[in-house]
Amino acid sequence: MSEYSVVGQKLPRVDAVEKVTGAAQYGADVHPAGMLYGKIVRSKHAHANILSIDTSEAEKLPGVRAIITQDDVPSGRRVFATDKVLYLGEPLAAVAATDPDIAEEAAELIKIEYEVLPVVQDVIESIKSSAPRLHGDATKDGPNRRDISAKIKKLADQVDSNSDEIRKLETELEKHTDEVYYNISAESHTEAGDVEKGFAESDVVVEDTYFIPRVHQTYMEPHVSVASADSSGKITVWASTQGPFAIRSGIAGTLGIPLTQINVIGTTMGGGFGGRFGVIITHVPAVLLSQKSGRPVRVQMTREEEFLDGRPAPGCVIKLKTGATKDGHILARQALAFWDSGSVSGASIGSTIRVRGVYKIPNIKVDAYGVHTNKSGTAAYRAPGAPQAIFAGESQLDDIAEQIGMDPVKFRLMNMREEGDAVPAGGSEPKVGYKETLEAVADAAGWWDREADENQGWGVAVGDWTNGCGPGGVYVSVHEDGSARIFHGSMDITGTDTAITQIIAEILTIPYENVTIRRGDTDSAPYSTGSGGSVVTFTMGNTAKLAAEDARRRILELASERLNTNEDNLELRDGAVHVITADPPKSISLGELAAYSLSTTGGPIVGKGSFARQPSTPALAAQIAKVEVDPDTGRTRVLKLVASQDVGFAINPMAVEGQIEGGTVQGYAWAMMEEMQYGENGNINPGFVDYRVPTSADLPTVESVIVEVPAPNGPYGAKGVGEPPITPTLATMANAVNDAIGVRITELPIKPEKIVDALKNNGHEA
Amino acid sequence: MKNFEYFEPTTLAEASHLFAQGHAQLLAGGTDLVIGMKAYTETPQSVISLQKIPDLDGITTDSDNGITIGAMTKVREVELSEDVQEHHTALAEGASEIGSIQIRNLATIGGNIAHASPAADTVAGLLVADAQVSIASAEGERTVPINELFTGPGQTVLKPGEIITQFHLPSPASGSHYIKHKIREVMDLAFIGVASAVNLQNGVIKDARIGLAAVAPTPIRATEAENLLKGKGPTPELLQQAGEAAAAATSPISDLRCSAEHRKEMVDVLTRRTLRYALDRATR
Repeated sequence: MSEYSVVGQKLPRVDAVEKVTGAAQYGADVHPAGMLYGKIVRSKHAHANILSIDTSEAEKLPGVRAIITQDDVPSGRRVFATDKVLYLGEPLAAVAATDPDIAEEAAELIKIEYEVLPVVQDVIESIKSSAPRLHGDATKDGPNRRDISAKIKKLADQVDSNSDEIRKLETELEKHTDEVYYNISAESHTEAGDVEKGFAESDVVVEDTYFIPRVHQTYMEPHVSVASADSSGKITVWASTQGPFAIRSGIAGTLGIPLTQINVIGTTMGGGFGGRFGVIITHVPAVLLSQKSGRPVRVQMTREEEFLDGRPAPGCVIKLKTGATKDGHILARQALAFWDSGSVSGASIGSTIRVRGVYKIPNIKVDAYGVHTNKSGTAAYRAPGAPQAIFAGESQLDDIAEQIGMDPVKFRLMNMREEGDAVPAGGSEPKVGYKETLEAVADAAGWWDREADENQGWGVAVGDWTNGCGPGGVYVSVHEDGSARIFHGSMDITGTDTAITQIIAEILTIPYENVTIRRGDTDSAPYSTGSGGSVVTFTMGNTAKLAAEDARRRILELASERLNTNEDNLELRDGAVHVITADPPKSISLGELAAYSLSTTGGPIVGKGSFARQPSTPALAAQIAKVEVDPDTGRTRVLKLVASQDVGFAINPMAVEGQIEGGTVQGYAWAMMEEMQYGENGNINPGFVDYRVPTSADLPTVESVIVEVPAPNGPYGAKGVGEPPITPTLATMANAVNDAIGVRITELPIKPEKIVDALKNNGHEA
Repeated sequence: MKNFEYFEPTTLAEASHLFAQGHAQLLAGGTDLVIGMKAYTETPQSVISLQKIPDLDGITTDSDNGITIGAMTKVREVELSEDVQEHHTALAEGASEIGSIQIRNLATIGGNIAHASPAADTVAGLLVADAQVSIASAEGERTVPINELFTGPGQTVLKPGEIITQFHLPSPASGSHYIKHKIREVMDLAFIGVASAVNLQNGVIKDARIGLAAVAPTPIRATEAENLLKGKGPTPELLQQAGEAAAAATSPISDLRCSAEHRKEMVDVLTRRTLRYALDRATR
């Protein structure tokens, strides 16, 4: 039996009833009196100079109450495009009207004169000198051959920009046109050991280029905010967001408004996956429209707008090379990656290093670039950057295993890092269940005696991720009826409120049902980090623990007074404080203590927890799929999908399984069907007709296997569980397809046409 | 959604009269129209519901297993009809491929056809059933064979005021089958759709019909492939030839779903495959 009675249990979610009955309040349910409907006016071109914006006709339309452009942004921070648009759907203006149809009509009446420019939407095209430049000077923009341009930059800081030395370097640059990349938004370089030496010593070297498409988080609820600016200047924003405090500071920074003049009320979130932190997408326009109209304004995106102007996950192209000995030791790995960051910088280029995986690779070199294209910017999506890099890394591992004739699971086990191994960032590898997790999935899936009929195959892959950490605060009050109430400011993200509630119930030794949780707005609740990066259970779990322990201190103090005995003789259990040595037994309930506390000098039972940072521990997700491919039509059916994960400790195993299933399904979708497609003028599949997300008919039940190797600093040993499960699935699927039909697909998604074409190249006749 | 005037006529004549006045759309199940109106791609000034007009729905079977399907019959009813499943399997299978069950409980077969999408899932099944389409207007009634109904994407021979009232499927083939090429298992649009129907007599193909969707501006019959099959015993070589002939009859486009070449290849593969299933059913 578990040493715990509430944590570790599969308990129903605290928000289950409100979700099932529809009582939960989402952003679109907020409707203050007099509310106007906002509509964002968007660019109809993917790349164009803006010659003029004429709002005069729209202003005359009855029912229109406010129209704003960049001229209405007092801080000057870019909210709307002015001189140039960089992607289809980029905001140019916004209107607020008494009715959504009027807002729509007014948006159409705003006349925008464009001078259309050439468009570039492919990273490999964009880095060429022939590509149109998205930012800056057409001749010099874009970092050039990196080492030389770095020297130029350094020199330019010290000497006159016309110096001979700089000119000499610039001349040198011109000689290396094929090494000059243009439209670069950011870069990241990592090197350890000597890859050239490693490849030279390898018996097998595999090199391939992997293409991973841009995908959308496809949360069910599109972005929405309702903003209300009152006559005193106080601003209230009902925001569908993962981080109300981040939105508060974001609005304050963007508009130059004092922080505490803004109250952000987080509404129940219809999914986020990392994509719901944006400030200017809907929140800032809503505030500006409300300030101008003097009325509350709702700005709500359509699904089409989500695809045009959301912040999806970046696509990328990764050129990867791996060398290994014939007895299975990986010696070297080198990656060159171009991440599609869209119109702004910010793609997860740093994640390219995840091609290292959890393996001992003595020689590694990674060069990664963010590349501008005529697309919206990107944002986080469930383990940002990891699924892309791990797709390349884990696909290539299978090719090596195949070439040296080694079982893919054994090959991985053999190369995995172990406790005490030096880690790249310094220090040594902590105890992580890398091997345990891979072995668990292999055992559960029946890998060791796997069978496959014709056109069936098995694939395995692993992916790692480490949860983030951030500041948070929790209060817990114990009431006269013995119940406890939690108050905090963190957005519930698929079960985190439930985990916090379980932790508090565990420590206070009261039934789970007697603990309730309430989220405050930014005016009332203590600061909380955003609900992203798998932080919440780790951070808020630790915070909740501290708060409950603080409450317990007060409880024992009160009991000591009341029962007239030293605290050392007291024990809190089953919702009461017991005198350990008393015969006959003597105890006092939490309710009685709470009632008593009201007339004491020390006052009511209020526990406070405040926490910011402790080192996290990596987590591993390992997955195995069995598929069957129809070689004539290229359609793939998943017969089995098993996912294991080292979760540290499962505070609510049911919720953890939900996370494993959800992440795995999203990874499957990225592998097999999801893809934002771009034509000559921007995104061409902005809706669920041609942007396919899977349904339950596409997959068998994902079998989840929970592995628990505790994290030293996690609450009860828990690690963040949300992100790891998406990381290996892209490669799992590609490896299974390869095993089934002997075709290595390096360009996702693995659509039927790609399989048919690849098989045709292999000589298959349908 | 733009404002519009809404009518609920109770007779076909009244509906036809309203419809003939232009800027009007007929409302059957609404699963295409209402979505279009919400997206402002359809902005009719008047919407004419066909719900209150009696006798436009239902499936009836006559003595020689010919079937009549009212235009307002829900797609779900077509899918679940035992008579349709038995005698026009390809049509029932096509109906089962549309949207979700919720959508199929709203959508009508008449709407699926009148919308004239080249990718409509019931169209290949109706093509191989040789369906006769009854059309009514204030001027009277006429009948058009299904393969003459379509003139282009979203375009039909229907004149202003004309309303599809029913589909008559004459005596059935002994076996038929429909396959939709898609990515997602359910709720996907057809990359292509192929239906085949055969009549076997003493091991010889007496009659064969092949209907193809989403491979040309309109749904088409692959008549050359059909003619190749007639009078012959089914062999793998013959099916191969039929597949190739069917592919040759197409003029697909490349779009965001797949390339024209892939569509052609899949017509070949799925023509053979649907023929095999149809022949198998015919011999059972």
